[in-house]
Amino acid sequence: MEQYIKPFIDVCVNVFKEFIGTELKVGRPYFAESSSVNEWDISAVIGLTGEARGAVVVSMKKELAMKLTDSLTGSKHDKLDADVIDAIGEIVNIIAGNAKKGLEETFRLVISLPTIVEGKEHSIKWPNSQARIMCIPFDIFEGDTFSLSVAIESVKGV
Amino acid sequence: MKTVLVVDDSRIMRNIVKNTFSELKIPCQFIEASNGKEALQQLESQSVHLVLLDWNMPELSGIDFLKQVRAMDQHKNMPIIMVTSESAKYNVIEALKNGATDYIIKPVNEKIFVEKLSKITL
Repeated sequence: MEQYIKPFIDVCVNVFKEFIGTELKVGRPYFAESSSVNEWDISAVIGLTGEARGAVVVSMKKELAMKLTDSLTGSKHDKLDADVIDAIGEIVNIIAGNAKKGLEETFRLVISLPTIVEGKEHSIKWPNSQARIMCIPFDIFEGDTFSLSVAIESVKGV
Repeated sequence: MKTVLVVDDSRIMRNIVKNTFSELKIPCQFIEASNGKEALQQLESQSVHLVLLDWNMPELSGIDFLKQVRAMDQHKNMPIIMVTSESAKYNVIEALKNGATDYIIKPVNEKIFVEKLSKITL
């Protein structure tokens, strides 16, 4: 499982650099529980199917979500409106889509459209109980953080 | 004046694509669609010189739009550039096999647009 995570970390760093124009500091990855409640306000989820199954989730506080949207649109946002949903969905879409390149020798993957989950201390239920969920914390801007969570397991030969 | 159809389910992404393209100073007007189905309707109602096409969209995906459009005689040679986060080689091959003129992987940047557009005639 761990070997599948590196493409996601590398892509995440690159996407934020190219798309948002900011550097990320990568924290120490850790395994999370399948339905653990988190501290975030918004999560963007993309499902993975094809020769593997799982999901990619980007979670953050609403203040960071609005800040990222401001960067992408050039206008100020003060609530989780349609632009913020659009922006966070597009970020996870670009991360998942770009990570496919790093995994193409291992799996042929199909990514879903993004789904946005909003709510204080919401939890994400993961689709496959066998795959462990790896969370990677990132520091961004001055003092903001977000989390990239990935669960992926091969279904080749099943 | 040339017409460029920007097809993406993300309004922010459509704006980024339009802004990046505008930097090239090619005189054109943009029209938009948020999925392949809307894009087909746009093609029916007006003359389009270039399509910038996302892959993953609701209603009708970019790849299915591409297949349908290439089956129409009047659009066989219209430039269609995929602009998508789908980065795997098998995706690029699938798009090119189905008639995409070229392929740009998001995030987009001006340099890539210049390189790709220099190869096509609008």
